[in-house]
Amino acid sequence: MGNKQTIFTDEQLDAYQDCTFFTRKEILRLHGRYHELAPHLVPMDYTNEPDCKLPLALIVDMPELKENPFRNRIVESFSEDGMGNLSFNEFVDMFSVLSETAPRELKAIYAFKIYDFNVDNYLCKEDLEKTLNRLTKEELTPEEVDLVCEKTIDEADLDGDNKLSYSDFENMISRAPDFLSTFHIRI
Amino acid sequence: MIGELERQGLGPTGNDFPGDQEPPRLRRAPSRASDRNYPRYDWSADPAEEEDGAGNAEAPPEIRTLPWPMERKRAVRQVQQMRAHVSFGAESWRRNKTKSLRKLQQNVREFLYFFSLWRKSLQKIGGNFGGGVKSYFVFLRFLVVLNFVSFLLIAGFVIAPSLVRRSAGTGGFVNSTDKESCLVYDPNPQGLVVFYEFFLHLLSGTGFMEDSFMFYGYYNNNTAVEDGSLSYNIPLAYLFTAAFYFAFCLCCIIARMGTAARVAVATGGRAIGNYSLIVFTGWDYGCLGDRATKLKQKNIYYRLQVDLEEERIKKRAASLTPWRKVALYTLRVLMFLIALGLIGTAFYGIFEATKFSQENGDRFGILGLFIEYLPSIVITTGNFLVPLLCDQIALLEKYSPSITVVVALLRAVVLRLVSLGILLFTLWSQITCSGDLEKEDCGNCSYNNKKYQCWETSVGQEMYKLTLFDLLVTIALLVLVEFPRRMVVDNWSSKLSQLVGRQEFVVPSNVLGLVYGQTVVWTGALFCPLLPLINTIKFVILFYCKKITLFCNCRPALKTFRSTTSTFFFLVVLLFGWGLALVAMIYSLAVIHPSYACGPFRFFTTMWAIVPNSFYSLSEVTQEFLFFIGSQAFSIPLFALSCVVMCYFIALASIYGRSVAMLKAQLKLEGQDKQFLVKQIEKMKRNNI
Repeated sequence: MGNKQTIFTDEQLDAYQDCTFFTRKEILRLHGRYHELAPHLVPMDYTNEPDCKLPLALIVDMPELKENPFRNRIVESFSEDGMGNLSFNEFVDMFSVLSETAPRELKAIYAFKIYDFNVDNYLCKEDLEKTLNRLTKEELTPEEVDLVCEKTIDEADLDGDNKLSYSDFENMISRAPDFLSTFHIRI
Repeated sequence: MIGELERQGLGPTGNDFPGDQEPPRLRRAPSRASDRNYPRYDWSADPAEEEDGAGNAEAPPEIRTLPWPMERKRAVRQVQQMRAHVSFGAESWRRNKTKSLRKLQQNVREFLYFFSLWRKSLQKIGGNFGGGVKSYFVFLRFLVVLNFVSFLLIAGFVIAPSLVRRSAGTGGFVNSTDKESCLVYDPNPQGLVVFYEFFLHLLSGTGFMEDSFMFYGYYNNNTAVEDGSLSYNIPLAYLFTAAFYFAFCLCCIIARMGTAARVAVATGGRAIGNYSLIVFTGWDYGCLGDRATKLKQKNIYYRLQVDLEEERIKKRAASLTPWRKVALYTLRVLMFLIALGLIGTAFYGIFEATKFSQENGDRFGILGLFIEYLPSIVITTGNFLVPLLCDQIALLEKYSPSITVVVALLRAVVLRLVSLGILLFTLWSQITCSGDLEKEDCGNCSYNNKKYQCWETSVGQEMYKLTLFDLLVTIALLVLVEFPRRMVVDNWSSKLSQLVGRQEFVVPSNVLGLVYGQTVVWTGALFCPLLPLINTIKFVILFYCKKITLFCNCRPALKTFRSTTSTFFFLVVLLFGWGLALVAMIYSLAVIHPSYACGPFRFFTTMWAIVPNSFYSLSEVTQEFLFFIGSQAFSIPLFALSCVVMCYFIALASIYGRSVAMLKAQLKLEGQDKQFLVKQIEKMKRNNI
């Protein structure tokens, strides 16, 4: 654990360690990954909190995200401006939520955000259709997509309003045994 | 392009935090609405108030579990730290304690991660082939650890003391009895030594291997010690270690099952819908690589198709005319009988092969080796052919896909475990002359000492041969079938090779192989104490072989069924194997007379008889205590108490289920109420305008 590193102050590393699920080593490693996405733009010295954001196109090019059908939505959910530009803080936040030790409730909140394509705080039928098409690469026929979306809403909707609110989603996720292991990116 | 970004409204350390709930930051309006769902952090809460609330040392939620952006979390953390500096005494001590506890937990977790066996390999496998295949390897790792710990147990309590006793030299132990003929036992027959005899002995567990710590026959029953200070009752230790080994394995299996079952019980037990599960948790975010992603998409597509297909089949089945229903059911019964017949043929084949092998086991050379391995060969062939034929039968039965898979799996489980049972039954009938102790061969020593001078060692040898053969067949299949298949499919493009395609890694049948191997080890552990160690080595070799074949030769299975690749299912099947081994062990302990010529239980009527004998050497108080525990005065109240506790838990579980159902209905009603009220408001608005 280098006392020699000059990227962050000790106090910053402590803060990161308390606010994420990473250790100091992993945070330094994450900084390395962030830096190599755009070496000219990302400063090596973060002690005075530079204001540097990387655009969506660079982030989704990472090997961990490249093949993920939801990569755009993932990055957009963690970016403050909603357009997918991530500062280092948001970058670390994203991988912290997707890490192994993040608790189920936290992951469920962000999973809901990811699948909510039109950002209206409900998973309506259009959101589900988009999710399904990305999952199966549009190989299902429209009737099949319709049927699956209807059945999904049927199964998970508890208050009968034909769309899934966050509590419906959370209730369904709490009974999914492998949600924790599938909603996990190792970096 | 970075220059035109919005400036953050908040300073880097959050010092200009005004003290209200929302950070002054530019955000898209809809996401502000989603804050409604997030837990609120109460800025005004005083840590002191929280503590004399309920007296629990429940710390405020960890900052990192809050779903806020990083800047806000850091601001909160700063505020907490400032508060920590200000407060003294009990609160700060408690806060420090929780903080250091968390740090300790984290360090311990990191330390254990370092020791976690094969962690990187498992991740790679999971990322490339999915959760089902990974669960096979996780199960294999569990068995490796279980076997290794069991070996340490046995080594510590049985092998090490025996080593010490052997090297210290043994005194005379022969009681003169009238069973002279039963005492004849020579594991190392001198004769013509052929140069390849070493390998023959190694493969069949005879010769130098028989006369070693491998098998039961080598252990002695001496308990006295030279200088009289330490006394170690080896036979008692042997028995108790075997019993504890079984109990330990049972505890491990049930502990692992517990975590899986907990989710099902807590949520009312209803199986949750397939579709929502697939849609929301189907995608594995850890999927790496283009090929794996495409396969994952095909997998999800296939799973959805299967569910849709089941819907169609259900609709079709509901619309069948009565005549067609009757025809379908008769066809199913017929196919079931045919499957039963096939399995029965396999059993008969095993029975005959074992009898033949035991009767002609004294041939030399390669032919002798072949005859010795005949039961293993027949079992393996049966386990390979019969499921194939049953699969063809299943095509005619026209069950829905998920039921077909479960039925095929059950048939395979029954086949494997019962064939092992048949082998044990045949051995038993050979050893005890089919239970008829008056027969000529068995009359003298209460077991067939003409064929078996030391029957326990023979049983141990049989289990050793099964284990070894299993490993050899796996490696042989790998080298002779899977690699050539891949080379043929990759380099020779024709219709046939397209049809056959690359090998698919089928998880359930591989898991059954593991369960079979473990059951053999459990059965043989009483007679061959080193068998868990051999099994550990075998499973480690198997892990690497399967990993190599997975990455080089296989494509992931397109057709996966959750129920059959879940750890819970594997553990249930493992429990069946454990039960079979337990029955075999209890029978050998309690009924069959131990050999006169070898082993620690030489002069007891049954192996279990040593326990009552040693019991009387305990002190008076202990004897009375143990008598009390075994008496009715204790056991009946205990039984009644456990019935009451069980009824309580059953009632609790059913109440949970019922309250879940009631709450769901209430939610629906409230949703309808809300919609009704909204409609009323709109109507009133319209009327007012």
